[in-house]
Amino acid sequence: MAYTTQTRLAELSDKLLAAASAAGADQAELMAVASDSVETTIENSELHSNQANEETVVGLRVFKGGSLGFATANDDGHGGLDELVDEALAQARVMPADDNNALPEPGPVTPVARLADEGLAAWGLEDTSRVASVLLERVASADQRVRVDSGSVGRSTSTVFLASSTGIRLAERRAHVSGYMFGMAVDGDEVASSDYDGDASRDHASIEGLLADAGDRFVAKCTGGLGAGRGRSYRGAVILSPEAVGEFLLPALVQAISADNVRKGKSPLAGKVGEIIASPGITLTDDGTAAGGLASSAFDREGVAVGRRELLSGGRLNGFLFNHYEARAAGCSSTGNGAGAPSSLPSISPNRLEVDAGQEDYEQMCRPGQEQVLVGRWSGSTNPITGDFSGVVKNSFLVGPGGRRPITEVMIAGNIYTALENISAVSKQRRLLGGTRLVPALTVEDLSVTAG
Amino acid sequence: MSEPLDVLSEALAGTDGFTELRYHDKSTRTVSVEKAKVEATGYRRRGGVGVRVLEGGRWGSASTSRLDVESVRKAAARARNAARANAGKTGEKLTELPSVELARGEFDQPGLEEAAGRTLEERIVMASELEAGMRKAGSRVSSASCSYNEIFEHKAIVTSDGARAAFRLVRPELRLQAVAERDGQLSSGFESVGATGGWDCLFRAGSGQSLAEKAARTAIDLLSARHPEGGKATVILAPSIVGLLVHEAIGHTTEADFVQAGSVAAGKLGTRVASELVTLVDSGSSEFYPGAGGTIPVDDEGVVAGRTTIIDAGILTSYLHNRQSAAKFGVTPTGNARAWEYSDEPLIRMRNTYLEPGSSTLEEMIASTEDGYLLDGPRNGQADATGEFMFAVQEARRIERGKLGELVRGVTISGIAFEVMSTVDAVSDTFRWDLGSGYCGKGQPAKVDAGGPYVRCRATIGGVQTG
Repeated sequence: MAYTTQTRLAELSDKLLAAASAAGADQAELMAVASDSVETTIENSELHSNQANEETVVGLRVFKGGSLGFATANDDGHGGLDELVDEALAQARVMPADDNNALPEPGPVTPVARLADEGLAAWGLEDTSRVASVLLERVASADQRVRVDSGSVGRSTSTVFLASSTGIRLAERRAHVSGYMFGMAVDGDEVASSDYDGDASRDHASIEGLLADAGDRFVAKCTGGLGAGRGRSYRGAVILSPEAVGEFLLPALVQAISADNVRKGKSPLAGKVGEIIASPGITLTDDGTAAGGLASSAFDREGVAVGRRELLSGGRLNGFLFNHYEARAAGCSSTGNGAGAPSSLPSISPNRLEVDAGQEDYEQMCRPGQEQVLVGRWSGSTNPITGDFSGVVKNSFLVGPGGRRPITEVMIAGNIYTALENISAVSKQRRLLGGTRLVPALTVEDLSVTAG
Repeated sequence: MSEPLDVLSEALAGTDGFTELRYHDKSTRTVSVEKAKVEATGYRRRGGVGVRVLEGGRWGSASTSRLDVESVRKAAARARNAARANAGKTGEKLTELPSVELARGEFDQPGLEEAAGRTLEERIVMASELEAGMRKAGSRVSSASCSYNEIFEHKAIVTSDGARAAFRLVRPELRLQAVAERDGQLSSGFESVGATGGWDCLFRAGSGQSLAEKAARTAIDLLSARHPEGGKATVILAPSIVGLLVHEAIGHTTEADFVQAGSVAAGKLGTRVASELVTLVDSGSSEFYPGAGGTIPVDDEGVVAGRTTIIDAGILTSYLHNRQSAAKFGVTPTGNARAWEYSDEPLIRMRNTYLEPGSSTLEEMIASTEDGYLLDGPRNGQADATGEFMFAVQEARRIERGKLGELVRGVTISGIAFEVMSTVDAVSDTFRWDLGSGYCGKGQPAKVDAGGPYVRCRATIGGVQTG
């Protein structure tokens, strides 16, 4: 099947690239993804439906006289893709020229192992339905008060094909299975904050264990919010769980180190390469090369090899994330962080982010000498341009010498860039979130905590 | 290509049991301009037929990107096999869908010809002029961006129990952002509008240039704004914040699937959940004036998208339903089943959600506020099963002794929605749709709108603590 699909995509690519050239494109790039997926959905703590989908999506990028055009569509089997060439060229004819508009040349690419487990690729609805049932039974038997509002278990297999007029011609087969639950605990008249958990894998043998752990965490999170009471207002230290670090500290930092935001004047980290921007305990690495990794791939959205790169070393900023356009604009090479699907132009994104483990024991961090807020989850807003953030804490606790108690209606506020400098503890334990971010817990000093 | 309704009707003739066939063709044109440069244009088209069947009390779904009878029938067969894969599993089975007035006919929405006739150059010129307008608004503006989207949708729905409806619509969206800089300090101002219809709807509340100037002015003014002190406060919420509040913190808790799971609205029908000044509605139509961004004539189960009063003068009166939840609750479906694209399964979603206007004027509300804030411009927001919400606010202006005062930055508000709505003591006589550029996320995105009058209530302000 893999050979057949790849051959079909290659033929489609040859046809459209030739048509783009004949229509006057100086350069053209085509990305096609053929995918098939099965999914069992959960609603109100029961299996809800089974779904099966197949689709091929194509994205065509052209340059003519230094001007860009881009069009994307799914294959309707009736020649609908033919309009992509006209659409993309029509845009290129009216777009202004830009010297940085060009496609990458082919370069060495190293295949990544175990991206498509054939045992997983064969999974059908009987498998997703069975695993979803097991997951529901596990949650129900753990605590009757927990309700699963919605969730799913699904398997997706895809063949990615990328080709360009500069000679890039790459293909990769990928498969993964994922599952999640969203819901809350209800105890009599009390409804606790809703929460979620889940996991994903490229390995069919590991997913049931991963989802069992996710189910246990989900139950703990939902029930942990029961009996939540008022917090207290203060300015001082806050403990961020790995989930909270992954939810708001890392995304804001990623935006600030994306070269497009730097170029557009939307990053306070512009001009700070080589400077200390975070506490010495923070080392951050982007890695897209791990065998079987969910965020791994041999090549990025533009066909540039994906690698491993330390972005922050001991709090010092080493550099930014680049795709090919931004690299040309900055006068450097792409870092292989061109991101996206065929349905969009290449953007910039990290692969798998890893924050180095620290020295502190997480359990010890959660028993501070003074009362502090331990943030399990965070629901709020961050302005990546200014770094200001503010939001409500969820699944969170007031911890201290007297133990821990769940809290509700508590907000924390501060500034991301100041917070990075004010990290006073990094846990030695780390959690892999969604298969794409490996992060420890952090204690951050001097945040504002407001109890409602 | 045949007309979608004809293809679906012919394909349906070969199926058994309850079958729902939904053609959905969606195309989007985008233009983005930033720092005096046209960054990109784009065209995206995705279309096909989603099939849903009910077999042995279980749902099965499948899809095909091909609009022809054979492909749709094959998808229907796959959907039936999918339903059978759940046949032996435990759990309640859906034996019958409630009868309801199903839509028949064609229901195209206004603005299609105007939008389709516009050239790419016109869109680029509009976005470029607005981006330039922000940069020219003040020397402190260090960068500006404008993105414009136009979403065209064509849907056709045929069900084995009688729906046969089709419609086309267009939804333009505009987003403007200005960044101001002083001594290395950055601040930003953001404005956005979205509508169902043409540019007359998009710019009904003001020209694009007035939005550009407002975004630039906000960014510049916020450079010198200080952070507020956190704590409980009296707040006057602008229609944009009211819209977000009623959508996120109340609307979601009244979606019947969430109610069944145990949301805070469960078991509260007929009880008081808000001040008697509060009447909350969700409608498939654009009430008050045309163009609301979540307008749909027919939902994705073929049910006419009507008007549902969720809270009537403070009393919770209805949940939002699809056909399955309506069967469970023994009520009529409210036309809230919506799917994002052809391969997505319809879920219970809001459309245009709003608070009814009251009788106060905004001036009276400010003048009678001793100490508080006027809040406008939501940056984003979340809420959960308890109704606890958190919204970031772009413009927060102090009110002291009945007068508007200084602008403060980095403001968020929080509270428990029903508790906050119970503190409402004044509602203005004006109305504005103000969330038309927004998307609601619930597994799939959905275009929605929300709005209302100005509302005064008590909530928690997240801000700085001094010790």
